[in-house]
Amino acid sequence: MSTETANIRLAGVAGRRRRLGELGERGKWWRFLAIVFITAVVIVPVVAVFILSLTPAFGSTETGLTFANYGHIFTATNLSYWLENSLFVALVTVVVAVAVAAPAGYVLSRGRNKLISGYALILFVIQSLPVVTAVIPLFFLFVKLNLNDNLAGVMIIYIGSTMSVAIWMMAAYFDSIPITLEEAAWIDGASVFGSFTRVVLRNSLPGILSTAIFSFLLAWNDYLIAVVFLKSDVNYTLPIGLQTFFQQNATDWGNVMAVAVIMMLPPIIVFAALNRYFSVGGIGGSLAGR
Amino acid sequence: MSTESVTRSLQRARNGVGVGGGGAPVRQRRNKALNHGTTFFFFALPSLFLLLLLNLYPVIYAGFQSVHNGDLIDPGDFIGLHNYLTVLQTADFWRAARFTVIFTIVGVFGSWAIGLGIALLLRTKIPANPVFKVLLLLPWVVPTVVSATAWNWLVATPQAPLPVIAKAIGFGDVSFLGDPLAAQVLVCIFKVWISFPFMMMMLSSALAAVDTNVYEASRVDGAGTWQTFTRITLPMISRTTYVSWILMTIFCVNDFPTIYLLTGGGPVNATQSLVVMAYQTVFANQQVGPGVAIAFIMTIVLVIVSVVLYRQIRKASIE
Amino acid sequence: MAQQSGGAFTRRTFIGVAGGVAASTLLAACSRAGGNGGSGGGGGAKSAKFWNMPWGSDAFLAEDKRIVAAYKPDSGLPSFTYQQIQWANFTQTFQSAVASNTNPAVSSGGGTQAFQFAAQGKIAYADDLFDSWEGDLKDDFLDGLLDTMKTDDGYAAIPYNLDVRCSWYNKTLMEEAGATPPTTWDEYLETCAKLKAKGYYGFGLGSGAGSFTGSHILTGFMINNGGGIFNDKLEPDLVTPENEEAIDFILELVHKGYSDPNSATYTSANVQSQWKAKKFAFGWDGAGLPANVGPVAPDLVVGEPLKSRSGKQGFLYFPNNIMMYKNTPSQKGSEAFLTYYYKNMKTLWTKKTGIGLPPLKSIANTPEVSGDSNNKTILDKWNPIYHTWGAPGTSGLFANVAYTVDGTQPMITFTQSILGGKVKAADALKTLQNQIEPLMKK
Repeated sequence: MSTETANIRLAGVAGRRRRLGELGERGKWWRFLAIVFITAVVIVPVVAVFILSLTPAFGSTETGLTFANYGHIFTATNLSYWLENSLFVALVTVVVAVAVAAPAGYVLSRGRNKLISGYALILFVIQSLPVVTAVIPLFFLFVKLNLNDNLAGVMIIYIGSTMSVAIWMMAAYFDSIPITLEEAAWIDGASVFGSFTRVVLRNSLPGILSTAIFSFLLAWNDYLIAVVFLKSDVNYTLPIGLQTFFQQNATDWGNVMAVAVIMMLPPIIVFAALNRYFSVGGIGGSLAGR
Repeated sequence: MSTESVTRSLQRARNGVGVGGGGAPVRQRRNKALNHGTTFFFFALPSLFLLLLLNLYPVIYAGFQSVHNGDLIDPGDFIGLHNYLTVLQTADFWRAARFTVIFTIVGVFGSWAIGLGIALLLRTKIPANPVFKVLLLLPWVVPTVVSATAWNWLVATPQAPLPVIAKAIGFGDVSFLGDPLAAQVLVCIFKVWISFPFMMMMLSSALAAVDTNVYEASRVDGAGTWQTFTRITLPMISRTTYVSWILMTIFCVNDFPTIYLLTGGGPVNATQSLVVMAYQTVFANQQVGPGVAIAFIMTIVLVIVSVVLYRQIRKASIE
Repeated sequence: MAQQSGGAFTRRTFIGVAGGVAASTLLAACSRAGGNGGSGGGGGAKSAKFWNMPWGSDAFLAEDKRIVAAYKPDSGLPSFTYQQIQWANFTQTFQSAVASNTNPAVSSGGGTQAFQFAAQGKIAYADDLFDSWEGDLKDDFLDGLLDTMKTDDGYAAIPYNLDVRCSWYNKTLMEEAGATPPTTWDEYLETCAKLKAKGYYGFGLGSGAGSFTGSHILTGFMINNGGGIFNDKLEPDLVTPENEEAIDFILELVHKGYSDPNSATYTSANVQSQWKAKKFAFGWDGAGLPANVGPVAPDLVVGEPLKSRSGKQGFLYFPNNIMMYKNTPSQKGSEAFLTYYYKNMKTLWTKKTGIGLPPLKSIANTPEVSGDSNNKTILDKWNPIYHTWGAPGTSGLFANVAYTVDGTQPMITFTQSILGGKVKAADALKTLQNQIEPLMKK
């Protein structure tokens, strides 16, 4: 058995790329067609958002498609402010959420005592509590802490609401990293902290990025919390800016959709830029790199 | 060392256990881990602090509300479990519970199956692969307020694109939001559409961590594609699968905006899930006690489901 | 392998960059969070808050801000800061603010909000303010409007703008179908029949996600027939012959195919797109409908109030209002601000900012408002017959309106079931009665 696998291993590193390549070539264009079809179906509503963002504002006699809504939101609204606040809130949320969740996820992944299992379970329980009923008591609490109408306040809530999922996402990823890597580091005299930062984290980019994207989108798209907590115009984030187009008797859908398109851009850009890091890392890469 | 780990992961794959899972080395690891209990404590501490800060007070507060007859401003009088008993006796609650179950099952397994399918597809060599990865993430990226409007625009009126297509291919006049069954199906599809990118992402990163050598071995063993999938791929990502199922179950049960923004729970409450019902009871009908009671009952069931699934995770890693 | 070590290198770079970003964002977080510090609290020294809703477009916000900014308080009275509150979840916003004493001194809000807060002891009654307006602003309010604000303990709020429900028709499509604007329910049926022959809907409305207009229209028809939701004990009393007749009439419209079969689930945007698509030729909506239908707007005309089978007239309107809170830096200050505001708010209407109809005759009579023939029809023909939610029991409003019918789920469910056409009037009314009775407080 071990001889057999050793042989595979020997042939493996050299032969792997070639063999996967062979598999890759066969039916490549069929798979391409399939994915084009799937993607096309999936993004129909997104295309609808884009088309709606090009429809003339109400009251306008214009027909056909127009970029007027974009002109309007850039010149007549505080879009740049909203964008700045949203980016700020989302980035801090991501950084802190990952920084707090990664070590906790490591504990969940590697620890095997009752206390840790209990903590793992409590995370699910907490995540199970519906957010809708928590908003008002949280507001009372934050008024006492003088954190209402304050970006720091909503950031704390976002970080807290990502926590359970973020910890579990990190833990699920750490599970895929063989303990042997850390054991080797420990033999070399590294502490748990040292092996965690230098060995585990280094090989966890896909996991970290998944968690980061989850946290980013949670903070980026939320309006249920922000609309209750943030009141001053200077503190508006994009989703609340979006709400300003919902008037009593009218909703300016063209502008809403134009802001929505702008809102989609940062996550897309970030994801596109980081995309290549999703495929590296993990056990495959780390073993081959040794 | 590399050879050893490959051997072990292969063995585990054959035993139907995830790469990170146990086998003999678990004991060894556990001992090592216990030696570092203090480090672990400090690793978990910041998250514990945050969770307590944000959840302890709201939970106690909500618990208090659920046994009182007050509103958001006036606490009201203590009435014991009256709210819970009243809620459990209404037919509306059980109808909403039933829809919640359907919505959750379709949401979890639908998004998982599609997410996994696309993750596997995108793992192979495909031209312009990264472009698709980004595009397929869009449903998750679009704010729900906006995507619900876009979906509404696609289906609501008879002149909208989807009803026109449905009519053209012989389904007649389908009222996607007006017909109770069609609305239920639509809401479920909407949820799957929003959720599959999350599944795709989680499963992609789990698949990225699977040692490709294992596949080589299975090819040597002469396993077919389906066998490779069920015997190697699925077991390898089993832990991630269970975690994603639990998370998605929670997301679905707790999902308020998706349903509320697309159908508002209508027509005639056909798509009202428990969380939507709880929200409407608290904020539209201002029946705070009963609304919070609904939310709590829901949470309890959810926790039970989570515990059952969680056992599976532990089984998957300790076998 | 070179590629792999390249990968490791970029990973390390990435972590380094991420660390840098982390450090700098955290630093920024500290400074930003400090800078934007909480502006909560019942108002600092010499400053009070006015919260207003987005009643109109961007132009409304700009003009309203300008008016408030120009307020110069007498010495010793607080100045006022302006804050717009979004419609999304606004009841939560107000209730959480009131419960935590971070409420504004003065605000607008939902039409029944003041009555609810008054019942909870949070409202400063406006009686003193009205006394000080005697012979001046007080006489300027549209007839009957002040009565809608009256409770046993005093005036809960000051009328601010009118949100009305009325009929609309597309005159071009009506002409094409050879139909004339109806004045009675029976004529309305004929009109609908003619429109249907041409493929148009004559009973256009919507009751979909987030849209309460449909339930307003149905209530309007009950009031039209001398019925309504509350009796003179201010309790829901739905199963009456008047209401049954009215709902039977609606069901007749539905069964004869005069309403769009999808209308039960139409959002206001869907309703507007049906007007735009020339599917709706006659329908029921708010006064702001033309602003949302683009090219069809010039064709839209407000119809006349209909006489019901019982020969009565009547419909539903919502006098939106401004309220003063007990928790204020200075009650005198709140009153002085409102006196200023009401004397200077005219431009919100004359500049056509999209806000509902004005509460003051002096504003209603300006050419900018009454020059619009649709506004004129509403003010002259509909306004005298309007009732509040409290009809037929009372001309006013009260806290239980907010708890039972204003934006509650049973009203939506009821409306969707009627527009679905598969229920009997008496059964549906009975169900509604049973659902809203338990929502009553005290």
